Amino acid sequence: MAVLGIESSAHTFGVGIVERGKILANEKSMYRITNKGMIPAEVAEFHIANATDVVERALDASGLRIDGITGIGYTRGPGLGPCLQVGQLTAKSLALRLDVPIVPVNHGLAHVEITKHIARLKDPLALYVSGGNSQILKFDRKMHRYSVLGETFDIGIGNMLDALGRSLGLKHAWGSEIERLALHGRYIPLPYTVKGMDFAFAGLLTKASRLAGREKNEDLCYSVQETSFAMLCEAAERALLLSESSELCVCGGVAQNARLAGMLGAMAREHGARFARAPDEYNSDNGAMIALVAEKMISKGMAVPLGRCGIEQRYRIDRAVL
Amino acid sequence: MKRIGCGAEAVMYRCDSFGIEALAKVREPKRYRIKALDDELRALRTRREAKIMSLLAEKRVPVPGILAVGMYTIVMEKLDGTLLRDAKKSQGFYAKVGRAVGSMHRAGVVHGDMTPANIMVVGARPFIIDFGLAGITDSAEERALDILLMKRSLEVKRFASFLRGYSSGNSGIGRVVERLSIIEKRGRYQVRTLA
Repeated sequence: MAVLGIESSAHTFGVGIVERGKILANEKSMYRITNKGMIPAEVAEFHIANATDVVERALDASGLRIDGITGIGYTRGPGLGPCLQVGQLTAKSLALRLDVPIVPVNHGLAHVEITKHIARLKDPLALYVSGGNSQILKFDRKMHRYSVLGETFDIGIGNMLDALGRSLGLKHAWGSEIERLALHGRYIPLPYTVKGMDFAFAGLLTKASRLAGREKNEDLCYSVQETSFAMLCEAAERALLLSESSELCVCGGVAQNARLAGMLGAMAREHGARFARAPDEYNSDNGAMIALVAEKMISKGMAVPLGRCGIEQRYRIDRAVL
Repeated sequence: MKRIGCGAEAVMYRCDSFGIEALAKVREPKRYRIKALDDELRALRTRREAKIMSLLAEKRVPVPGILAVGMYTIVMEKLDGTLLRDAKKSQGFYAKVGRAVGSMHRAGVVHGDMTPANIMVVGARPFIIDFGLAGITDSAEERALDILLMKRSLEVKRFASFLRGYSSGNSGIGRVVERLSIIEKRGRYQVRTLA
């Protein structure tokens, strides 16, 4: 059984192929973001132009022919509507043509699952940090789904970092620019908002953006990273102890940040927990994670009739059954 | 000092304060965050927690008494009891718990982590403990969040009894209950589960 997974929730169109848990291909094409940010319709058009090419590249990389594909998965949400549509339609046409089962997958769940798979984790506490999402998750075996133990009250940490980058006049990719500048910064106190296992970033962003131009970019980048990452660590630490987990992982786009990983690793060590994160190609959006989860779901008989496949922009992870 | 427990926020030690058996809650350094931020947070939270506990003691809300306060340490009376979470108590007892929480709110304090794991039963009296996440506010939203946490941790009849106790002599109750239903309607909380 070889399952092809399609991811298109935001600026990445990704196609992955997985066979019995082994990743055979993970190809992607990324829409180039300018300082305007992302205009959903434009990104969707980009995806439409690239979809077949990425599918072909993935097939080439896997060494399989198209009729070797025995199942299809795609991202149902959360994400940008027009972008999700392209992935859905590509997936549906493939499933129709090949006459194979198809299954919609939750994007965040796929990030956690591929991290668990690659790092061979059993039952980790997961910190999922990307543009639009910042959540602390734990799998609930009785409910067969992830519980959200904590999350952002306002914006995702990635969007916060991007917005800061723009107000500092930095170029895309803002996250890695901020990480680079932060290496030479000094600490300026900024708002720190943690409530139990939840947190909020809007106040921090407002304050830091107001200081743009008055304080050095390096200092602002350093201080925003230190403050926001410490908030995530504190909330995750509380969740780690409450859920009595012996493993901690971080996933999603912001998980590529070395400072965040370093802090989480140090926190986990203090409590004797194992810390893991996947290689960068799986923390940025990718099709392999969708293929991985789709294979699991199809083998459990969770395939969905074509007519009932759809997209959902606000598809929360705690509603996704696995 | 004997280490007896470790939370996310602080380490608890059993100690002796002028011959009285006591607990020391020490906010030890967190190595994952930079020293300037860490020192500031630990000192601020220790100060705030001590202030809240003494305010509550003054208003006769059942909380452990404070014996001494340091930069990052609070030494308090050691209560000899069982956590409500582990205690087998009748439904009627939860009204007493509700009254205690109500008196805390009337004193202008919200707890921030109001669960049966933070109620200590001493004889027939409930004491509210651990003010690490508490705040001074009369916001109906924050109060309702305390009640919501209790609602999620208690079974229905016990919560009803809790709410009866909470309502007795609490003039602001209407606002809080109304707020509770608003919060519950927000998607975020509807599907939330706590560990």
